[in-house]
Amino acid sequence: MSRVLRIELRRSAALGTALILLVIGTISLYFAEGIEFASGWMQLAMSQRLYLALLWPLALAAGAWQSSREHRSKVGELFASTPRPRAHRMVPTLGAMAIAVVCGYLAMGIAGGLWIIGTARYFPVSVFVVTAVGALALIAAAWLGQAIGRLLPSLVTAPALGVAGLALLLLIPGATRPRGWLALVFSPIYEMNMPGAYATVPGRASLSQAIWLAALATTAVLLLASGGWRLRVAAVLPVVLGATLAIAIMPRDNRYVTDAVDQAAMALVCADDEPRVCVSRVHSGLLADVTSPARQGLTILAKLPGAPTQVHEDTTTYPDVYPVWHDDVALVRIVTGESVTAADVVSAAFQTPPQCDRPTASADSLAAAYWLIGTQPVASDSPDLAEAVARWEALRAAPAAEAQAQVVALRTAALTCTTDSNILSRSAR
Amino acid sequence: MRTVSAAEAAPTTYPWAVHAQELQVRAGRHLAVDGLDLTLGTGVHGLLGPNGAGKTTLMRALATVVRPAGGRLTVLGEAVDGRADLRLVRRGLGYLPQQFGFYPRFTVREFVEYLAWLKEMPKATVPGAVQRAIDRVGLTDRAGARMKTLSGGMLRRAGIAQAIVNDPAVLLLDEPTVGLDPEQRLDFRELLRDVGVDSCVLVSTHLVEDVVAACTDVIVMNEGRLVHQGAVDELIAQGGDGDAGDSPAERGYSALLRRHRAGAAR
Repeated sequence: MSRVLRIELRRSAALGTALILLVIGTISLYFAEGIEFASGWMQLAMSQRLYLALLWPLALAAGAWQSSREHRSKVGELFASTPRPRAHRMVPTLGAMAIAVVCGYLAMGIAGGLWIIGTARYFPVSVFVVTAVGALALIAAAWLGQAIGRLLPSLVTAPALGVAGLALLLLIPGATRPRGWLALVFSPIYEMNMPGAYATVPGRASLSQAIWLAALATTAVLLLASGGWRLRVAAVLPVVLGATLAIAIMPRDNRYVTDAVDQAAMALVCADDEPRVCVSRVHSGLLADVTSPARQGLTILAKLPGAPTQVHEDTTTYPDVYPVWHDDVALVRIVTGESVTAADVVSAAFQTPPQCDRPTASADSLAAAYWLIGTQPVASDSPDLAEAVARWEALRAAPAAEAQAQVVALRTAALTCTTDSNILSRSAR
Repeated sequence: MRTVSAAEAAPTTYPWAVHAQELQVRAGRHLAVDGLDLTLGTGVHGLLGPNGAGKTTLMRALATVVRPAGGRLTVLGEAVDGRADLRLVRRGLGYLPQQFGFYPRFTVREFVEYLAWLKEMPKATVPGAVQRAIDRVGLTDRAGARMKTLSGGMLRRAGIAQAIVNDPAVLLLDEPTVGLDPEQRLDFRELLRDVGVDSCVLVSTHLVEDVVAACTDVIVMNEGRLVHQGAVDELIAQGGDGDAGDSPAERGYSALLRRHRAGAAR
């Protein structure tokens, strides 16, 4: 058996399938939407799941192609005279295809991991779970492809199955709307797009998906082993049972995965020494890079009475997860690949707490920050830059004491949630 | 050298390796074998007959690929019918179909090994048996070559190698000499004589010369029925100077067929 498995690994469609999955998967990770998994391992695992949109239909087609081998090679006559039951005969190819898709998928993960291995430190166990469900989805696809390929032995079966698989994955969300949780049961790619920094996949969702996919794989194996219509009808049983159980387990929440937050990923990790600079655990690899500009920013802010003395990562998460507010903490958004500057920290001192209705105008916070820094505002990505420069010039033209008073007023208004529009421009006029 | 299991060495409990009585086998809707009586024991049996005589259909029935439509067929002491568990019988079979299908990406060694696995050979005996089978058909230096790179004659020999890998008690070869050059045919006859010492070998062919050279007896079929079964000498004795053919055996064969057709027409 193991010798035959080795032969099948070398000579069946397994090797080619693994390579195709690796290449298509890696190209998708890097080039389909830009790097969406820069923050960490969970984001990589979820991005891999998203690109099952391509890999799943490919595995389905590869299974069908492999399964048509006996038909293509016309070995039916010879094999019919051998004692080994056809169910046994299927085992090495099932094994070879399963090993192939899993290896291809894991290799794709390693290829993606090379991008983040320098910065990603946080590795929750659920990464394994999310990846395992993805691998199980591919095994189910390959085996289902083999089963269908056996029942419909034709050269067009493989490409037709590939197209059908893609269509199925794309149609599931529309077909189940407004019950998004139903799509989550049946589609391994659903809600895996654009994972946030603290994203996770709840264990119950993974369990439900794993049950469904395992049931699908079992049905595929029964179909492959079946010699008559009785077993083929019986093969429907696992898939029905699996679907029922999976639906029962999946919580009835829409956006169940999208809104899930990994509290451990969000927990703060702080640099040694004072003043305190903290980032979330998922960004802990960036702490060294953030600490120095953050402390520079705090030094500049020290001119301001009651200025913040700590910098924390702003872990606000859509729609309504906010970090605890402290007046002496400047909250700064941290995104892997975008560096934090001292100016970001200084302008963060003029932000309102997240629950306030009206945030500080960015022209105001930029002008105030750069007045403290002593240079002209240069935030190239802000649409309000021209306005910020104008307000900064007005501040600079004003007597130092009056300008200081205005900046202090801006900060006070921010902290007390009483910003009305354009404090700086009004007083400068 | 190979190990012989106790089960193999035990005396058989059946008189004939193959025993057919009033056998009927369909090829599609047509009864290609119709009322055939046949007994085959150890030795090399040549199966002759014109195209459409039912040779391939008989081979397929003996290989347990098609079920008999009527009559009785016993192979290695087991009745071959709808209810039988054919697993034991099939372990003792070797079969080279007329259209030999193979996996083109497999090497010769891998394909023969795969068939050894399908024939449920004991795991430990497989590598040795595979090498021996490949050696016996003279493909030793091509054992590592992919099946798709083999010439027609080499493919035929690879087909014979897979058929004999399990040292079958019943070896069924449907036109095994197609594509073999004269030298290879000589080697093949040698192999047949060798295998026929302790197995029942049935070789279907159009080449009367192969039968004369390598077979202990001859079976002639026509239109699904047995025309003649006997030693090669008996076949030769049937022919006279007036019969068609370039050798005594060919003349005997044509004489048998001519007489059978005349008898059927009467």
